Amino acid sequence: MLILVERCLEQPLIKRLLLLLLGVAVLFAIDLRGTGIGELLRPALGDPAESGLWGRFSYAVVLAVAIAINVVLVNLLPRRIQTLFVWVELLVLFLAFFWSFDLSYAFIAKRIGFLISQGAFTTIYISLVSSAIACVIALVMALAKMSSNAVSYGFASFYISFFRGLPLLMQIYLIYIGLPQMGFVVDPVPAGIAALSICYGAYLAEIFRAGILGVPRGQREAAAALGLKPGLIMRKIVLPQAMKLIVPPIGNQFIAMLKDSSLVSVVGVWELTFLARTQGRAEFKHLEMLITASLVYWAMSICFEMIQSRIETHYAKGDRR
Amino acid sequence: MTIRHMLLAGFAAAIVALAPLGATAGESLDRVMKTKTLTLSSDASYPPQSFLNDKNEMDGFDVDVGREIAKRLGAELKIITPAWEIITAGKWQGRWDISVGSMTPTKERAQVLDFPAVYYYTPAAFAVHKDSKIASLAELDGKTVGVCGGCTYEAYLNKNLVIDAEGAPAFDYKVTPGTIRTYETDTNVFDDLKIGDGKRLDAVLSAQPTIEEAIKSGMPMKLVGGPVFYEPLAVAVDRGDPEFSAKIAEIVTAMHADGTLKTLSEKWYGVDYSTVKK
Repeated sequence: MLILVERCLEQPLIKRLLLLLLGVAVLFAIDLRGTGIGELLRPALGDPAESGLWGRFSYAVVLAVAIAINVVLVNLLPRRIQTLFVWVELLVLFLAFFWSFDLSYAFIAKRIGFLISQGAFTTIYISLVSSAIACVIALVMALAKMSSNAVSYGFASFYISFFRGLPLLMQIYLIYIGLPQMGFVVDPVPAGIAALSICYGAYLAEIFRAGILGVPRGQREAAAALGLKPGLIMRKIVLPQAMKLIVPPIGNQFIAMLKDSSLVSVVGVWELTFLARTQGRAEFKHLEMLITASLVYWAMSICFEMIQSRIETHYAKGDRR
Repeated sequence: MTIRHMLLAGFAAAIVALAPLGATAGESLDRVMKTKTLTLSSDASYPPQSFLNDKNEMDGFDVDVGREIAKRLGAELKIITPAWEIITAGKWQGRWDISVGSMTPTKERAQVLDFPAVYYYTPAAFAVHKDSKIASLAELDGKTVGVCGGCTYEAYLNKNLVIDAEGAPAFDYKVTPGTIRTYETDTNVFDDLKIGDGKRLDAVLSAQPTIEEAIKSGMPMKLVGGPVFYEPLAVAVDRGDPEFSAKIAEIVTAMHADGTLKTLSEKWYGVDYSTVKK
């Protein structure tokens, strides 16, 4: 008996039918009566609120079958266009979701110029400068943590543990409010850049260390056998090969830093999140500005992703046959 | 021995060099007079007191009051926008000179800041959703009310409000809410009320001018009952500069006397809030 069930389950058609049933069950559990589906099927099933269990079931079935047909149709397209098509469909779904908020597009059009020219520009500026400084700090800390010198190791491990352990917001406050107590009065933008570089330097140090450890030991031994000095080995042999392992996680962190730079707004820097929030609050229309700012952040992340992809191709040259 | 001596000398030199930087007290007035710039710290998300207008400049009642104070000091106004917690934490270290931000003078804040003068009294009022059937303060008992956390409004609902500034009129607790929900700021409170009457909140308690501004901008709310208490709001400066505090006090008193505050209040609120009503 069990073998029969197993054989049945291996048939692709049965698998897809079971998936469809699962979809119907999930959509049934989420009561779709109050949503647009209910309104769409009003001619057939009457008032959504009063259609009871049968109504809920029908809405679930209709939506599940619609998604299934969609998937089948997309699979019929040529391979290359399929991915693009899925992207476009998901994008349209999200935009429809935003459109349902009933936003005031005139307000967005009025404010978006300054949002981008001041906000996006400041965010990118802060992120790029912090990334550069963080990379330098990270390389130094990673090498220090792998060294046999106890002072270097102690310093590096303390730095990494402390600045990964403190929340970034606390670090920004400490630098902006704490340093003046000692006599160094810092401006908001340098304080923000310092906090971001120090915090992300700690995270990136571990990524650098992982990359360097990932280069096979044989490379180092072969280089030593050829008579190269340790400094030269690190610079010319190990680091270039380590970059392949380092670039994807670092790209990840830089894109995360783009978003974390929004914390700098607490010290009064007029960057993207700060402007979105304050422009929105001025006329109590903050959802418009927040959605616009989110889409601008996404556009900037996409640019970073493209740059990362180029860098990865450059370092992967050695792998091409 | 030589290295140890050098290290000790280095430490001593560092301490001697840094010591004068710690003493910034008493310098605000000199700095303002010398640079002819009054640096104002303001919260950019608090319409109509301070907000970013269409030209993306800081504007509002508080900003106008600050501009007038700067004019009477013979200085230009410069505005920076640190977060509210940083402004109320004190120890400004000369990064900005004055805060005109509708700050309530409380005993805790008076430990780190000076409040030379009260410049207006803002009424606090309840508001409900436009479609709500509540029409009087008595009906608010037992309901869910939203307030901004840490504000005087939360203290009022918790029945432990202490306004320790002179000239504040007496008040009594007219409403006993069922549940109190706190939010980061007033606009978040209004957002939750906007979702629907009774869905997350039944009512909100906030400054009446802020509620009226929200209604004007299209928020579906309406006021319920009159003002429940008046809150004196003061100009704040850093502790430790009595001459600066005295000068500011003198300027604000003059602005009360010659009607400037009344004009500004009527410009932004339509009503004169600069003197207290009984």
